[in-house]
Amino acid sequence: MIRVLGNFIEIIRGSVITARHFIVNMWFHIVNLLGIKTQRKGAVTIQYPEEKKELAYRHRSLHRLVKRENGKPRCVACMLCATVCPSDCIYVEAAEDPDPEIQKYPSQFIIDLSRCCFCGFCVEACPEDAIRMDTSLIEVAGDNRDALVYDKDNLLR
Amino acid sequence: MSDILIVLFKIMGTLSWFLTLTLYLTWLERKESAVMQDRVGANRANILGLRIIGLFQPFADAIKMIFKEDFTPRFSKKFLHMMAPFVSFFFVAVTITAVPFGDYVKIAGKTVKLQILDFNVGLLFILAMLSLGIYGVILSGWGSRSRFSLIGGMRGAAQIISYEVALGLSLIGLIMVYPTLKLSSMVHFQGEMILGFIPQWGVFLQPLGFIIFFFAALAETKRVPFDLPEGESEIIGFFAEYSGLKWGLFMMTDFMEIIIISTLITTLFFGGWQVPWLAADGFHFPWGGEWLLPHWIVVLFQVGAFNIKVFFFCWLQVLIRWTYPRYRYDQLMDLGWKLLVPLSLINIVGTGIVMSL
Amino acid sequence: MSKEKTKMIHIQIDGKSLEVREGTSVLEAALQAGIEIPHLCYHPAFPSEGSCRMCLVEIEGRPDLELACSFPVKDGMKVSTQSEEVTKARKNMLEFLLAEHPLDCPICDKAGECKLQDYYEQYGFFESRFEEKKEKKEKKVEIGKTLLLDQERCILCTRCIRFLKEITGTRELGLFNRGVHTGVNIYEGNPVENNYSGNLVDICPVGAITDKDFRFQTRNWFLGSGPSICPLCGRGCNIDIEYHPGFPHFPVPKRVYRIGPRENHRVNGYWICDYGRYHYSYIDEDRQEQIVDNKKEKLDSWERVLDFLKERIKKLYYMNKTSRIAVLTSSWLSNEELFLIRKIFQEDLNVEKIFLTDPLPGEEDNLLLTPERSPNSKGASQMGLNFKELDLNKLAERTEVLLMFGSHITEHFATAQTQEAIGGIETKVLLNPHISDLNSLMDVVLPTCVIAEKEGTLTNVKGLVQPFSPVFEAKGHCRPEWEVLVNLAKKLALNFRYYSPFTSVKPIFKKMQKEIGFFGTKK
Ligand code: SF4
Ligand code: SF4
Ligand code: SF4
Ligand code: SF4
Ligand code: FES
Repeated sequence: MIRVLGNFIEIIRGSVITARHFIVNMWFHIVNLLGIKTQRKGAVTIQYPEEKKELAYRHRSLHRLVKRENGKPRCVACMLCATVCPSDCIYVEAAEDPDPEIQKYPSQFIIDLSRCCFCGFCVEACPEDAIRMDTSLIEVAGDNRDALVYDKDNLLR
Repeated sequence: MSDILIVLFKIMGTLSWFLTLTLYLTWLERKESAVMQDRVGANRANILGLRIIGLFQPFADAIKMIFKEDFTPRFSKKFLHMMAPFVSFFFVAVTITAVPFGDYVKIAGKTVKLQILDFNVGLLFILAMLSLGIYGVILSGWGSRSRFSLIGGMRGAAQIISYEVALGLSLIGLIMVYPTLKLSSMVHFQGEMILGFIPQWGVFLQPLGFIIFFFAALAETKRVPFDLPEGESEIIGFFAEYSGLKWGLFMMTDFMEIIIISTLITTLFFGGWQVPWLAADGFHFPWGGEWLLPHWIVVLFQVGAFNIKVFFFCWLQVLIRWTYPRYRYDQLMDLGWKLLVPLSLINIVGTGIVMSL
Repeated sequence: MSKEKTKMIHIQIDGKSLEVREGTSVLEAALQAGIEIPHLCYHPAFPSEGSCRMCLVEIEGRPDLELACSFPVKDGMKVSTQSEEVTKARKNMLEFLLAEHPLDCPICDKAGECKLQDYYEQYGFFESRFEEKKEKKEKKVEIGKTLLLDQERCILCTRCIRFLKEITGTRELGLFNRGVHTGVNIYEGNPVENNYSGNLVDICPVGAITDKDFRFQTRNWFLGSGPSICPLCGRGCNIDIEYHPGFPHFPVPKRVYRIGPRENHRVNGYWICDYGRYHYSYIDEDRQEQIVDNKKEKLDSWERVLDFLKERIKKLYYMNKTSRIAVLTSSWLSNEELFLIRKIFQEDLNVEKIFLTDPLPGEEDNLLLTPERSPNSKGASQMGLNFKELDLNKLAERTEVLLMFGSHITEHFATAQTQEAIGGIETKVLLNPHISDLNSLMDVVLPTCVIAEKEGTLTNVKGLVQPFSPVFEAKGHCRPEWEVLVNLAKKLALNFRYYSPFTSVKPIFKKMQKEIGFFGTKK
């Protein structure tokens, strides 16, 4: 009984904490509603589709294949990204490039984004700096699985 | 004839007050928890782009609930399964009849009590109806013919019965102090003053009784921290086999219980519709001032005071629900039987001693 | 292998005492003892040349570092392969080699199995200090039907030149120019054209010579590899089949990507011929994967087909008319399968009409390739099967059940001719791993395994019996012939005690050794 009574004090303290939060936040909500600007807001929420957060400099967003000056992919289809990818979601098919200095280019480059875990290993593995995750596109969505399988045309940008 | 009309009108008014409040209690719960947790809370439901801080959310919920599939498991006892939510709902809904919203109004020479029915034993009526509410819980557990539901239902029944004892005992002290069981008389009684300036509210006369009652009542609503019968998140509760509107009825019952508990606390311990120092003709301040008011303003004050008190206790209950984690079952039973019941007995004895002095 | 006694002497490498034959080089002695000394130009098949200088070691009593590949062992010699000086020298040598190396690894087919890469990882790890422009050389010289040379990647080890000199004697490649311009090339207009050119890709320690057939197909680290035996001629060269196990979420077009030699000095040494190397498409292409049922009698599972066959054969057997059964075998079958055919048909059922249909002989060369184009002609001839001379009329005469293994008969007779001859036969069953013209002539075609998918032994032209085991799983519904034959024997209720232990190839082989002298004498 004594122990339960001890709990009781803690129970009251808990309530006081949450009530304090409520009152302070409510105060700022009301003040803001009245049109007064304060440094603090009533809530930390970012109203997502309308308000967007600035992405960090190192943020990993949708992949892109970097182009050479002539618009062809810089990728040489070395398949290191496909090798390192922990989700096994990259598929590269190589083909012969007529230029003997390039020799190899990807005739197919597929990333199945529905499997990608955005770890960025592919970017790190690439010896040609041909794949990057700096598009700042984070709203990658589709209404079926196939829509998330991006091929070379989608990725070259 | 006009009496019947008046009663009908009172019923309509009270019920609509009750149901609207229930509806918006869901909104309050969302918003309050959000504000407590530095969030914003549901604010997306809109009509023609008009959001008004999420006030339409309850309607969206209702519409969703209506259009959801009302699923009755093949193995359930169909009739009981269907009955259960209505039983729950009904017994909570009828309790509102005995609650006094205000003193009386004079309309066209008639004196109308602001209470649907002024029972002689109004308090007992409310307690009885609240107890009958567990039939809904048991029926739903039984009627679903699912082990989980059944366990949930049984647990609910055990919990409610345990706390019923404390609930009843905590009120005995009050009944000893108040010379009546009639709720309107109780409220009138609380209109008097101790030492001439402290309102003679139940909470001042029976502080311990109030605390016990409050906790027992919280347990009665089956919400966190006493939500073992439901345990939405991990234990599967008594309405696991319900969906759609029937499930909605259970949820509504929960919220209605919150309101009933709030009105009870208000009526029994916080002077009901009484405003301190406000008499039927205006304010009479203890230091000797007076401020006379017309009758309808006084009525407004009274009804307003009642509502504010009820809102406050609703708010408090939501606050509690969003503050604490759940009790373990043995702790729950410990709290009921080993703390609240003995305390209420002590309270009775103490009250007796004080009164006989 | 020579009979004369060679003297054994004692040396020490890195403090480890070894007993080696006199006359071996330090490198060979180390390799035999499992001590790794990096080497690029040394190849066990040719005399060492000492051009790469990767194999430097310290030898006690010698003032300078010595080339392990060309320094013969002496009694009591103490060699150190890990001393500071050696490591430093290795690093410096690597730096020299890489100074003019293009570092094409991303597009180089050798990457992943390139010795230069490996040694850099093990012994190098320096930052490049080379600031000058690298020498430009030819990057894509077509030096043969299937070979491409990248002169920039070449480290001038001359393994390729020595191979063409020592092994094929054709000498198509040579070193041209001087100094930094030195490069391997063909003599004008004379490409490398011999049946062993594919081996150049294997022996080139770097990616200078690459294979057009494998070029850019995949990366070699995706491939798995399994030992097998080349079934394309009677030599029975030991090979490694390199196959793609497939990506978890993307299909790959084929399984086998390339064939490489597996060292075996009793058969093929370090080499295989181009014919065996490049004709691997039989493993994946035109494969019969499902049971073909032209009778439309719901013969869609192995069980049903075997029941069907059982009925036909049983009937003839009970009427004592097994002479109306004809069996066409082929020496693409393993020893065990031929043995089972002999046992079941020749001995148990008294079938007389057993024929051998082999592919037509092809060209041979003076090294490995034999004229036989099947892996087991020797085995077939030693099996004690009484083959009748292949003659369509004889085959079809009064025949009611025809069992054909393989479709090599199409090489002997035109399909129309065959059709005419066997058209009247009541029951015609073909067991074939490939889709062929015969499919439409048969009642049932059963898919069987190729050598790479099954287990067994093959006898090469010299009489060497070599076991092979499956490299990967069988395609579709394919089953190995031996399994089919054993199941058929069980269905026919021929000597149950004899056939019931035959759940794998081993017991069949043991029985065969016991019963047929040729296999018993050899081990
Ligand atoms: S980000 Fe990671 S998971 Fe996604 S494609 Fe690249 S390596 Fe694969
Ligand atoms: S690692 Fe880079 S160069 Fe290699 S295949 Fe991937 S994107 Fe292309
Ligand atoms: S030869 Fe070896 S080091 Fe040179 S590019 Fe090819 S893989 Fe890289
Ligand atoms: S092509 Fe290859 S084998 Fe021939 S010299 Fe160059 S590196 Fe050596
Ligand atoms: S292996 Fe000795 S110098 Fe090349």
